[in-house]
Amino acid sequence: MPSKRNRKEQMLAAAQYPLDWLEERSGLIGGLRYFLFRKVPGDSGWWHTLGSATLTAFLVQLGTGVILAMYYKPDPNSAYESVQHINNDVTLGWLVRGMHRWGASVFIILIFFHMARVFLFGAYKYPRELNWIVGVLLLPLALLEGFSGYLLPYDQTAYWATVVGININGTAPFLGPFLASFLRSGSEIGADTLSRFYSLHMLLLPGAILGLIGLHLYLVVRLGVSSPPWSSEAAGRDREQAPAVPGSGLVNPAPRGVTKRPD
Amino acid sequence: MPSRRLEERRIAFQRYKEDVKRDGKPFYPYAMFHDTVMSLVVVCVIVGLAFVWHYTSLLGPSLAAKADPGTTSFVPRPDWYFYFLFYLLRIFKWPNSVILGTVGIPTILLILLLAIPFIDMRRERRLLRRPIAIVAAVLVALSMGVLTYKGATAKEALGAELLADVPNWVKAEKLPAQAVPGAKLFATSGCLNCHTYLGAGGSQLGAPDLSAEGSKNKGITFQIQHLKCPSCVNKGSPMPSFAAFGDANLRKLAIFLEASKGPK
Ligand code: HEC
Ligand code: HEM
Repeated sequence: MPSKRNRKEQMLAAAQYPLDWLEERSGLIGGLRYFLFRKVPGDSGWWHTLGSATLTAFLVQLGTGVILAMYYKPDPNSAYESVQHINNDVTLGWLVRGMHRWGASVFIILIFFHMARVFLFGAYKYPRELNWIVGVLLLPLALLEGFSGYLLPYDQTAYWATVVGININGTAPFLGPFLASFLRSGSEIGADTLSRFYSLHMLLLPGAILGLIGLHLYLVVRLGVSSPPWSSEAAGRDREQAPAVPGSGLVNPAPRGVTKRPD
Repeated sequence: MPSRRLEERRIAFQRYKEDVKRDGKPFYPYAMFHDTVMSLVVVCVIVGLAFVWHYTSLLGPSLAAKADPGTTSFVPRPDWYFYFLFYLLRIFKWPNSVILGTVGIPTILLILLLAIPFIDMRRERRLLRRPIAIVAAVLVALSMGVLTYKGATAKEALGAELLADVPNWVKAEKLPAQAVPGAKLFATSGCLNCHTYLGAGGSQLGAPDLSAEGSKNKGITFQIQHLKCPSCVNKGSPMPSFAAFGDANLRKLAIFLEASKGPK
């Protein structure tokens, strides 16, 4: 006769089974467990949330962007009307569009804040140089994402800001004129320009950003985040050399939390 | 043989890993808690902004008029995070240094950013012992802030107000009667968003002052060609094409420009 206790164990095993199945075939559960239960410096706090806040803002852009793409029409004759339609007719369309529009600003602000915190913490130093570089590459990509999205509503502001923006590109030496005519896809801003910007804005640039974020986070997990530099318990801080007198050292170690270097 | 400095850094990182292993706390739930709270704040702020945009006019209209390449008045204005670049372009003048503003400075800044970990190789991370880093950070933050603010508050030339200036232009420049239609067109076509004319308008993108454009004696044909395709005649010009205005209007503009020989 199965006891109550036995039943519970059976239930647990049943719940455990799919996880074990997945783990045996992929190692994903172990990976997730490593990610969640890896140790981070004990003194990491609110400053370290700016990176994941940036990530959240980017995910909001992805989600709202996918919804907008279901209604938006990248064609000079209907783009403006399709945005009006999203604003006025689609259920909560105004909310989705508003979140996408202002989420972009929040995303950019957070990138700058995150970068400032990394700089002020000196967190770009050995061995995290590469992650700093990946970050710096993300910055212009994010700005370009904003630039390419700005044209899409195809209103006056969008149109003329883009005309001037593309022309500015054209002033660059060597690549400039080439880049400008590539962006414009012709000598005038028109149907091809709009679909080109659309494609850049929702395929190429987000794809590149996503890939780099993946690399960025891999490096964060691999190297760990750095402690605040002012912390008296900063991980990896320099310790004072224990004085060479009997009674110190192994038996009576120097007190923890001493940060001053001998020099 | 690794250098002493590299050796020191490796030892320090080894010590970091040991410290974290011994004294660190698990990502879940500790750091995860902070991250989750912060992410919720971010989402709430974004939703809040969307509401403010929809229900008030604080954040501007949700859509301007439909794009019209043949428009006669427009405001070329990028999103706010480009204001600092936008304003930089007012500081540099066409054609000598405008490339510096549009391409040079952003490129230099990016290269500097990339190079930071290789410029500053010391192990020291405490801010008070990194005086150069502090000064650089303050300078960058300050100049970006000021440029953004300036770009945001830069006055736009409004067609209707400028139209009222036309009689003054006629007087000051002694414009002939056939130049007046062109002057009116000039005042309302957004030319003064970039150019200045007798002190009116905002100099942007390094666009030249046009009060004495006629004294260059470039000729009506040149002016029309330039307006149709600025970069075809002045290589690398960022001025937009006004071909959509139609030949008749472009001729009026050209007559006005050629008649503007400077105040007398
Ligand atoms: C977006 C900014 C912008 C707008 C708008 C603009 N221009 Fe320009 N313009 C420039 C710049 C930059 C130059 C310098 C490069 C060049 O010569 O093309 C310039 C040059 C000129 C020149 C001097 C050409 C020469 O070689 O002597 C004339 C004349 C001129 N613009 C007329 C106009 C007129 C008329 C309008 C309005 C219909 C106008 N511009 C609108 C940016 C602008
Ligand atoms: C799409 C934009 C970005 C995302 C989503 C992102 C995300 C993150 C996350 C989640 C972390 C770990 C937690 C933290 O320190 O906040 C991190 C760390 C880091 N980021 Fe970013 N980041 C972005 C852009 C940047 C930029 C622009 C830079 C610098 C130019 C940068 C440089 C770094 C560095 C050096 C670290 C390691 C910090 C440390 O070890 O203390 N990142 N990033």
